[in-house]
Amino acid sequence: MAKKQVNPNPSSKLEWFEDRLPIISFMKAELVDYPAPKNLNYAWNFGSLAGVALILQILTGFFLTMHYKADASLAFDSIQHIMRDVNWGWLIRNLHMVGASFFFIVVYMHIGRGLYYGSYKSPREILWGMGVVIFFLMMATAFLGYVLPWGQMSFWGAQVITNLISVIPFVGEDIVIWIWGGYGVNDATLTRFYSLHFLLPFVILGVVFLHMWALHNRKVKSNNPTGIDLKKDTDFVPFHPYYTVKDSFGLAVYMLPFLFMVFYMPDYLGHTDNYIPADPMTTPAHIVPEWYFLPFYAILRAINFNILFLDSKLLGVIAMVASIAILFFLPKLDKSKVRSARFRPIYKVMFWVFIANFFFLGWLGAKPAEAPYTQLSQIATALYFSFFFALPWVAKIEKTKPLPTSI
Amino acid sequence: MKKLLSLLTIFTLVASQSFAASGGVALPEQPWAFKNVKADWDKEKIYRGYQVATQVCLACHGFKYIKHRDLMKVGFTEAEVKKLAEEMEMSIDDTFKSALSDEDAIAVYAKPLPDLSVMNKARPGGADYTHALLTGYEEAPAGFNLPDSGYYNKYFPGHVIAMPAPLSEGQIDYFDGTNASVAQMAKDVTYFMQWTAEPELAERQQLGVYVLLYVFILAVLLYFTKKRIWSDVKRKREGDE
Repeated sequence: MAKKQVNPNPSSKLEWFEDRLPIISFMKAELVDYPAPKNLNYAWNFGSLAGVALILQILTGFFLTMHYKADASLAFDSIQHIMRDVNWGWLIRNLHMVGASFFFIVVYMHIGRGLYYGSYKSPREILWGMGVVIFFLMMATAFLGYVLPWGQMSFWGAQVITNLISVIPFVGEDIVIWIWGGYGVNDATLTRFYSLHFLLPFVILGVVFLHMWALHNRKVKSNNPTGIDLKKDTDFVPFHPYYTVKDSFGLAVYMLPFLFMVFYMPDYLGHTDNYIPADPMTTPAHIVPEWYFLPFYAILRAINFNILFLDSKLLGVIAMVASIAILFFLPKLDKSKVRSARFRPIYKVMFWVFIANFFFLGWLGAKPAEAPYTQLSQIATALYFSFFFALPWVAKIEKTKPLPTSI
Repeated sequence: MKKLLSLLTIFTLVASQSFAASGGVALPEQPWAFKNVKADWDKEKIYRGYQVATQVCLACHGFKYIKHRDLMKVGFTEAEVKKLAEEMEMSIDDTFKSALSDEDAIAVYAKPLPDLSVMNKARPGGADYTHALLTGYEEAPAGFNLPDSGYYNKYFPGHVIAMPAPLSEGQIDYFDGTNASVAQMAKDVTYFMQWTAEPELAERQQLGVYVLLYVFILAVLLYFTKKRIWSDVKRKREGDE
């Protein structure tokens, strides 16, 4: 039983310290003894991988800030300074650049795992919601970061994306000018984007802490591939050494393609136009966002028609934001009592169609906004949203398979 | 080890293939030596490329991130570098500036001409594009509407390029007596431009092999560690059934 007061005669310096700040017992409880289901498969590796990816971004980003110049006339050159003159500058920058893409890969996998195994359902609604908040923050951070090299795609990407805000009725135009700090993307925009790009990762870190807190809550704990509530103590293993070693192995496997990209194709996921210095006078032929935004970009551009008095541009932005924000409502929409897709024959098919459609949207996002891509984007967007709106109905008609009583 | 290296080379080759085509014309791929993971920068190729760059390109374009001192990182001695700089009436720490000022460029071309330092990274297709462009000048096909201010290039998007063909046969006296054909100069200067665009390329590719090997061995060891640690859990689970 826990002590109610500090021990006046502590048997060790550690006890004295722990009585005043129980941080070591906290870390032991959460990182060593935390009871994790023993049947987690490798899909559960992506959470810890996302954590590592975040830390790596913060560390490499921190070193980049020492050499980067957030000034419209110096930014592009300072990147080349990092690549050429700074010791290991090329490695740090490549890790940061490729690291951003790989962060999105693991987070997409992590979200996909949550969808498949119903990890968003009670009692994990808040845990899931925090995850969606993190995803929003990540997208903002990645967008801001892509502006910093001040190449053509940085500049014009910033122009296009910030312009989306102008669709807000009445005040939109003024808000955009306020965000730009001028009448177009300019030096003031770059410096404030830099400040925000530095700040947001720490906000993400804070929300990640809440995300972990909600997970480690002993009334919640991890979901598992069967999706059933685990009641027996023998269903769990302590996090250390079982999941520390499994996550370490997963990390090493993850590092192989990641480092391969860092060393052999660092610019592959970027755009060649971003090695042309930003030029407000010349618009690139195609303004394309980074690959991880493409599915949502396709949804944005799919809406090219007005509905009553609502402008297509406004509707596009609403659709794009809604395509992610709808994830917040997933616990409400999916009324099925069964979590894991293993026991949900209809949901399982829906899930894979949704994933295939998501890739399709990504492919469409990279295509020019013209026939037949716009029409295909409209169909794919409708399919995307129908996944969510079909869920309440599916829960009613679906004959789920019998659930196991234990693992 | 050998196998892994060649496997990596294949990966790199496949991965770095230019998917890009300009104006619907596929870029012919060149067997660039720097695509080999073991390759280091070749001093002689850099030197020949340097001759083309400084005697041809620099008339109109700059290489603002490059100075003579950088050549010392690819095998030139300080004395050699100093001599080269002196021949151009530069210090070894002066960056390669274009002989054409931005004002003059604007007067002729209506805009400053692009710096070439990172050009090989700034166009789809990279080195293959640069090489194709330099060798892609030809007579406009019959019926092609070529404006007076432009030249026909097979690989330039839209085929009308403002830059006249920069290379002509025998334009350069190569230090090693190599015949200065257009094909040879295009190859050399593209190689040089790859170096100016990513001087870290050779170090990066050589180091990558060891990094990946290290992580691969680590992954194997961690796999067996994981198996060992989890063995009692698996046994218990079987006992349950």
